[in-house]
Amino acid sequence: MQREAAIREPLILGNKSYKDITDDVVGPIEGAAPRTWKILVTLTGLVAFYGVGCILYLLGTGIGVWGLNKTVGWAWDITNFVWWVGIGHAGTLISAVLLLFRQKWRMAINRSAEAMTIFAVIMAAIFPGIHMGRIWVGYWVFPLPNQFGSLWVNFNSPLLWDVFAISTYFSVSLVFWYIGLVPDFATIRDRMVKPLPKKIYGILSFGWSGRAKNWTRFEEVSLVLAGIATPLVFSVHSIVSMDFATSVIPGWHTTIFPPYFVSGAVFSGFAMVQTLLLIMRKTMKLESYIHIKHIEYMNIVIIVTGSIVGVAYLTELFISWYSGVEYESYAFINRFSGPYSWAYWIMMTCNVITPQLYWFKKLRRSLTVTFILSIVVNIGMWFERYVIIVTSLHRDYNPSSWGEFHATTIDIGIFIGTLGIFFTLFLLFARFFPVLALNELKSILKSSGENYKKIDNHHH
Amino acid sequence: MAENKRYWSGLDELNKTEAYKEALAVEFQGQQSVDEFLGDERLKETNTGRRDFLKFMGFSITAATLAACETPVVKSIPYVNKPEEITPGIANYYASTYFDGQDFGSVLVKTREGRPIFIKGNKEYGFGGGVLNARINSSVLGLYDSARIQSPMIGKSASDWNTVDEKIMAALSAAKRVAIVSGSVISPSTTRAINEFKARYNADHVQYEAISYQGMRDANQNAFGKAAIPMYHFDKAKVIVSIAADFLSTWLTGNVFAADYAKGRRPEGAWMSKHFQFESAMSVTGTNADARYMISPSQEGKLAAAILDRLNGGNAGVEGVEEGALVKAVAALKANKGNALVVAGSNDVNVQMIVNAINMSLDSYGNTIDIKNPLRAFAGDDRAFAKLVNDMKSGAVDAVIFYGTNPVYSYHNAPDLRDAMSKVATKVSFNLVADETASLCDFCCPDNHYLESWNDLSMVEGRVDLVQPAITPLFNTRQAQTSLLKWCGNAADYYTYLRQTHNAGYTADMMNTDQSWNAAVHNGCMMKAVAEAPAEMEAEVSAPALDVAGAIAAVTAIKGGSFELATYLKAGIGNGSQAANPWLQELPDPVTKVTWDNYVTMAQSDMESMNLNTYLAQRDHASLVKVTANGMEVILPAYPQPGQKPGTVGIALGYGRGAGNENIGRAAFQTKENGEHIVGEDGLFVPIGKNVFPMTTVQNGTPVYANFSVEVVAAEGTYPLACTQMHHTYMGRDSVVKETSYSAFKAEADKPKGKASWNMAHGLAVHEDVNGDGVINAQDKKPISDFDLWHEHPVEGVGHRWGMTIDLSSCIGCGSCITACHIENNVPVVGKDEVLRHRDMHWMRIDRFYSSDYSLERGEEEGLGAIDTYGRMEHPSANPQTVHMPMMCQHCNHAPCETVCPVLATTHSNEGLNQMTYNRCIGTRYCANNCPYKVRRFNWFNYMGYDKFKNFNPSQDSLSRMVLNPDVTVRARGVMEKCSMCVQRIQTGKLDAKKAGTPVADGAVVSACSEACPTHAITFGDLNDNKSNVRGISQNNRAYHALEEVGVQPNIYYMAKVRNTEDQEA
Repeated sequence: MQREAAIREPLILGNKSYKDITDDVVGPIEGAAPRTWKILVTLTGLVAFYGVGCILYLLGTGIGVWGLNKTVGWAWDITNFVWWVGIGHAGTLISAVLLLFRQKWRMAINRSAEAMTIFAVIMAAIFPGIHMGRIWVGYWVFPLPNQFGSLWVNFNSPLLWDVFAISTYFSVSLVFWYIGLVPDFATIRDRMVKPLPKKIYGILSFGWSGRAKNWTRFEEVSLVLAGIATPLVFSVHSIVSMDFATSVIPGWHTTIFPPYFVSGAVFSGFAMVQTLLLIMRKTMKLESYIHIKHIEYMNIVIIVTGSIVGVAYLTELFISWYSGVEYESYAFINRFSGPYSWAYWIMMTCNVITPQLYWFKKLRRSLTVTFILSIVVNIGMWFERYVIIVTSLHRDYNPSSWGEFHATTIDIGIFIGTLGIFFTLFLLFARFFPVLALNELKSILKSSGENYKKIDNHHH
Repeated sequence: MAENKRYWSGLDELNKTEAYKEALAVEFQGQQSVDEFLGDERLKETNTGRRDFLKFMGFSITAATLAACETPVVKSIPYVNKPEEITPGIANYYASTYFDGQDFGSVLVKTREGRPIFIKGNKEYGFGGGVLNARINSSVLGLYDSARIQSPMIGKSASDWNTVDEKIMAALSAAKRVAIVSGSVISPSTTRAINEFKARYNADHVQYEAISYQGMRDANQNAFGKAAIPMYHFDKAKVIVSIAADFLSTWLTGNVFAADYAKGRRPEGAWMSKHFQFESAMSVTGTNADARYMISPSQEGKLAAAILDRLNGGNAGVEGVEEGALVKAVAALKANKGNALVVAGSNDVNVQMIVNAINMSLDSYGNTIDIKNPLRAFAGDDRAFAKLVNDMKSGAVDAVIFYGTNPVYSYHNAPDLRDAMSKVATKVSFNLVADETASLCDFCCPDNHYLESWNDLSMVEGRVDLVQPAITPLFNTRQAQTSLLKWCGNAADYYTYLRQTHNAGYTADMMNTDQSWNAAVHNGCMMKAVAEAPAEMEAEVSAPALDVAGAIAAVTAIKGGSFELATYLKAGIGNGSQAANPWLQELPDPVTKVTWDNYVTMAQSDMESMNLNTYLAQRDHASLVKVTANGMEVILPAYPQPGQKPGTVGIALGYGRGAGNENIGRAAFQTKENGEHIVGEDGLFVPIGKNVFPMTTVQNGTPVYANFSVEVVAAEGTYPLACTQMHHTYMGRDSVVKETSYSAFKAEADKPKGKASWNMAHGLAVHEDVNGDGVINAQDKKPISDFDLWHEHPVEGVGHRWGMTIDLSSCIGCGSCITACHIENNVPVVGKDEVLRHRDMHWMRIDRFYSSDYSLERGEEEGLGAIDTYGRMEHPSANPQTVHMPMMCQHCNHAPCETVCPVLATTHSNEGLNQMTYNRCIGTRYCANNCPYKVRRFNWFNYMGYDKFKNFNPSQDSLSRMVLNPDVTVRARGVMEKCSMCVQRIQTGKLDAKKAGTPVADGAVVSACSEACPTHAITFGDLNDNKSNVRGISQNNRAYHALEEVGVQPNIYYMAKVRNTEDQEA
């Protein structure tokens, strides 16, 4: 059995036995839905319905119900898209990259982080769909054999790369997540008494029997998938950033974008994981599994990626001046001093300045501070995309076309709506799915569980 | 045992029954032919079971449903007898003439399958070269106006011609005094008909025009004994001084003047005219001036007097006008005696008298001014009309007929006129719509639209321009002249009557045999020898001195108040006669770029001191101000106008049409965000803008379109103004706009393209020693064309490569190209709310840039930071220089839009076009974002179906939809569109050439914008044709690509603007 240094903080607190873990995770699924859950799901459901209503109105009337115009052709739509895709990054990073690096602390958070990824990518996928003027022919972005003659997609277009990147990312994430769920579903199946849930969980668990061969294959597949998913963590947001980087618009046409976008994505993804987990651990009483050490680890990731993003912002400013290109330098001067400078300074404050608070150990181990900053970071990251898209477009090359963008209620409604759908899906997940990778957790109980560590220490 | 084993299919077989044996003999058992089956009588006795019934029902309903799912069938009915000249799909052109009292233009009417759909200039034979303006080319929509009166009316109810004729003739016969009020009548046949009518009923004929030029006519009467409007020759004038005359747009025959003016503005020519403009509000003409100075309306006469004085050796000045301005202008005039021209826009006889004296002393008559053969239009007689109104009021007039004029709207004292009309027993109107005047009349006898009419128009001696119908009347209307003749008892139809005017012996059998007539109809005009001018006029013209002392005294006595008002006419709306034309309402004003409104133009400094908002944008609305003049108040939004003389305001005439909810057309009224009309507190639709005709001052019985003392105060509230351009300077980006002074141009006029200091080719610094000076530094540049990510499109030298050149020196910003493009390409009208949201759909726009006091260099000199410098560069100067830059798809050979479309909906043609495949577009708008010129337009809504646009988009009205060009797709919701370089015209041109078996000749294909340009600023053609005009111009050293350094390699070239200024000013 693996041993772990005594000075490492235990990852599972309390005197947990294997059975305790199972009880803690499966218990909420077996019991009746708590009142808070019902209230929450009603609330988020209503918001989701409002969002769907706004989307239907958009589809029925035209893109004109948004505030876009001849100068600013993308605004909240693509901002939301990039924001949601970015949020999705944390899940894959946690489950794939941390798996490859054998970071055991990931086991407490990877399941919900991956669920968040899946849901965030679904939310993200809504926007490229509905932002099309003619969504009913949206399938033309796929290279499908067709009867339109020799019509084919444009492989030069970054939007097409997006299609491939996002769909690949989504399918790999989904498979990875599901593979992890299989043994846990089997555990639930085995405990279920009522015939229907038992049947359903039985189907979901793909006939998992828990034999050594199952486990070997499970480990192998996880490793392979982690290997596939790891480059995707970097490729997806790099490709999303190329929507901008390969264009000719000052403020978009920037080679720094791929790494800058990836770190920004991890940054915002971890923030969203924090937001969700802090609520979940409290309401589902998972403090033993997701405790202050986990939060701290994630905060460290946040400060690292946040600082990378900060360096990227400053680099952009420097290069815009150093390039001597009048359009480029104006684009950035306008960014921080023009009509949308408020957005720029919100972005700077939320993404670069406030995360620096995490240099203080006390703060990065404070749940309240973490919760507040996790939301602040996501506000900042939303504004980052808004700044990149709207500020660059609203004043580009030809001053005669310089204009403004103002969001309409539909712009806002759809964004709020996706938040509603996202949280509804997450609540459903928390109610019916094992929110922790319980079988994986059991594998570290004896090396990282608090009581086992004590026993271990006692022996020495 | 095995052989004993037997199997039976049944007992029948085992027992070998008879039935079995019979059945065995029939090969196909149980088969029955259809005939046998149906012939079976017993079938009638069967009944259908419930289940079968349900099956049948299910099938039938499904089948019926599926059949009903088919797309609705739109029937096109073929000709029973196809007219010989009509081939479906091929356009026919008919020469005709447009004249409405305000504009005169020789036109070619394009008809498709018998429908007029487009108006272009008759360049070959037309008056003044057949140049048009936006109002004339938009006039085709008036034909399909569903607000037109569709049959004769008695009061508000429809009637028929016999009844109406009977009643009117009875009334006229009983009347003691009859009057005809018409616009300027310049048609010999119409004059004949009116004279016949006058003789029959002892009637008076009064000519009335919305915009009067009587002050000028009076001045010429005083000077030459001839109350006429001379013809001006701006092409011959080397120095032009204009005192508030907007001669390039709305002053007299502005379209012809614009074309002439441009001839003298070519920097490559032997000389380039020098244009001084003195005015209060910024006019289209003012934006084009080489030197523009701000004066108040009350100073116009004083300025003229000062110029006259200085020409005679004096040194008079005008308060507030810099001495240098007068010195320069007078010196230039003096130096170009005989080639100079001074014009004034004022309708004050005294000002015009002084201007006449100036022109006399400059020897302009006979050189730049032709008084011998004057313009016959603009003949409105305000004093005669005022007298008629008085007579009407006194009850002396029993019948009055209004023909082609709408005085109840445009008369400065409309309540008086309404009152007078109420005292007239019989009022008859020939107007096409039930406008302000017609709706007060007892009888409406709607005239035909000019595209349904015959007429002859003689603007000047020597030519008669013909109006010929391009379509039979759409409604039960009758040409006004026919009505007049009918009421005189002359049953002749007007066509015959007209032929007889020009050939007394004409009879119906000569209809098609008179070759000279046929030629005249084909050409659109008849030319006749010009009668010699009377000898006595020669003497008058050369009279040495004109006594203008009285005039000078009169103009000097004019005192200006704290605020002065100068009314003006907009290039789109003009005098308001086409206020219901949505194309013109949506045409951005050439100066302010505002659509769908009139407003008060004010100086920035005045607005600041009154605490008014000087920054207009989507959500930064204009402050309202209250202007009081002549005891009348209007509340209008204030527009910050650079170049507006402080202490003056400008308001456009021609707005506020239909204030009494006259049915003049749906587009004339304001609409809400959802497209419904706004209903005011009085329950009436709210007209667009306010009518300020009553604010003008009347002098010597004629309105001068100004008011020397008005009150302007801030009013409560704000009002959104929909501008298509929100940013007014080009931020020192001299690769967008290149401009230089004439002297700088001259100094390097011989340098090859890309080498002159005012048009240096862009290069990018590379890390190699390009210039061979042994050092690698920023001077080592390679041309932009060396840097390419993409493979060359094989366009150079292969087949056609369509392209355009646009001369910024020639472009005056008039907007004719915008409406022409709008009409040709079925561009939707989107209305004020959408323009406000920055979603105008114009494929072709004209960017208007003002100069700023600041530049990056000045910022550096003054030690300002970049932020401050850029901030100041956003503000135009108080009296800026202006550039008009037509902007449309640049058809880049390395188009950034093409690479980013995920579905290849926008691609490059092998003829150099950047083409948009609407069918393939999925509407991601990525292309529009990536366009450096921002020329792509997205269909945000279903413009042809969505309710928001029902009140103004022509494609939503079953009648005005007829104007759509069948060669151009009406775009669906959610697709991108943009300039196609009139690809439909290119295809037609190629097809014609192919049929003729010749190459496409240069000039055979012309884009709508190029065709409509009065100043020939836009040249279209094949850049691969070495002999083509466009190729030649593109090699000129003034030619450049806008934003060349982006490397997109456009097929559109701009020509640097040259101003006739001595020194280069930023």
